[in-house]
Amino acid sequence: MSPRPGPRAAAPGSAAAPVVVAAPFAPTAPTAPAAMDDTAPWPRITIDTPGAEFEPRPPGQFAYDFPDTECDGWSTPDFTVRSASIRGAGHRFYRKPRQDSARVAVHEASGAIVFAVADGVSGATDSHLGAVEACRAAMERMLHLLSQGAPMEFDSVAHHAAERLRQLAAWRLGTGPQSSAVAASWYATTLVAGVVQPDASGPRVELCRIGDSGAWLLDRATGSYHALFGTKTGSDTDLVSNAVVPLPHVPESVEALVEHLTASEVLLVGTDGFGDPLGDGDGQVGALFARHLAVAPTPLRLAHVLDFSRETFDDDRTLVAVWPGSSAGAP
Amino acid sequence: MSEARGVLLPAYVLVDESASMGPYVDDLSAGLVSLCEELRAAPMLAAKLRLAVLGFSDDVRVHLAVADMRVETNLPRVTVRGSTNYGAAFSDLAGRIPTDVRFLRDEGYKVHRPVVFFLSDGQPTDFGWKRALARLTDRQRMPAAPNIIACGMGSAERQTIAEVASRPEFGFIAQPGADLGKAISEFFHALTASLIASSQALNSENPQLVVTRPEGFSIVLDEVTP
Repeated sequence: MSPRPGPRAAAPGSAAAPVVVAAPFAPTAPTAPAAMDDTAPWPRITIDTPGAEFEPRPPGQFAYDFPDTECDGWSTPDFTVRSASIRGAGHRFYRKPRQDSARVAVHEASGAIVFAVADGVSGATDSHLGAVEACRAAMERMLHLLSQGAPMEFDSVAHHAAERLRQLAAWRLGTGPQSSAVAASWYATTLVAGVVQPDASGPRVELCRIGDSGAWLLDRATGSYHALFGTKTGSDTDLVSNAVVPLPHVPESVEALVEHLTASEVLLVGTDGFGDPLGDGDGQVGALFARHLAVAPTPLRLAHVLDFSRETFDDDRTLVAVWPGSSAGAP
Repeated sequence: MSEARGVLLPAYVLVDESASMGPYVDDLSAGLVSLCEELRAAPMLAAKLRLAVLGFSDDVRVHLAVADMRVETNLPRVTVRGSTNYGAAFSDLAGRIPTDVRFLRDEGYKVHRPVVFFLSDGQPTDFGWKRALARLTDRQRMPAAPNIIACGMGSAERQTIAEVASRPEFGFIAQPGADLGKAISEFFHALTASLIASSQALNSENPQLVVTRPEGFSIVLDEVTP
């Protein structure tokens, strides 16, 4: 992955220069569409060798609040937002709920987009709940800071989310305050949280992370990806290793950064279910998303693309995408 | 890291083929057949594994070389012969594993740290095995050094198995006087369960090797000696 703002490699099949621009809205009389079979199957997109196809099995009986797939999308005068979160094939087969979560909101007074993405740790028994609660707590804290006109203190966001997980453990046990170790055994989760705000020098992105979820800038002109956080391994290492320390543990200094979006860039925030198959973004997965995110797709379409099938990649996948400008993401 | 075709766990089954295993050849073969069939029945998990089966005695014989068990049709067959040369086994792995990892990476896969499932019914008959083991497990010299799950039975001694296992909780010894045929069967059951559980955890945010204790075996360091 090339450093920013240096040259970026174009993904195979991506357009070399022009940015895709949506046609201006001009109502026209509807024309009769060509005859289309609207009952035709909607097969999953496959890349290289697909994974096994099967009908998903239900998660446990108490996981009814955690649907297989969630997606959302809307625009403000400044931004277009899409998000999707899908259950991975492993969890679909082994009757586990989706352990990823994503939440996005607009801070109405400032027009800022506030987002949180979490990936519950498999080893924790109720990490699907931990992921949702970590997102909620982070969202609440960031919205509060924006309303106060205070700087975005990500240490406080992370500690607020961690405290929520400990409170959840205490509530479950019906006891007093619980340690991080107890909360971790039930609710451990990664977290990427942040805001995008209108700014004179281009939309200003501030974000933080705990654990190995990620964030990228996709340049729609070149189809190249710029990872905002470090990746799991360097390309010169023999083995992959991605041990992480998730919430409720909070490091002494939370990993945080500030960036500005250019008109041709899309901010992507996702879990490793998206980041691992993406890699540097210079392969087929990168090309797939570069094609489909050139202009904001419908939320359902984003979920469908995110649910692509490629063997061995069977983790939950979650992606939040923010385009500068409205009009469905046209720059 | 460039886009990967997938994420794989290379797994090596290293079984003792010394003469003392003679009465248990059928049990070894049945265990291997069962392992292969169970992996074929779980293609989503088998896709994330590459399995090698090696037999060791005076030397090492390859019965299956890092195979994709979804498409592999040959069943590994063991044969017994000679002595219990641990050193030959560990030296072979020290040469084989880095080559296999490089091959898989060149094929476009990301590779997790390999795992070796070692089964022996006897004490080593060679003197150089500790040096060979140290070379195999030295992560400075060999970045792809494997995790070793060691299971001992029969004459294999607790202390020896503890030394072979790469972590204390990875060493198991069959109860004294145990039916060795049954112990072999339990070894393969635990091996299969470990592979399935580990491959489920591979793509998670915190991948880990999941090791199942074979029924009738105890962790080698469980026993408190006076």
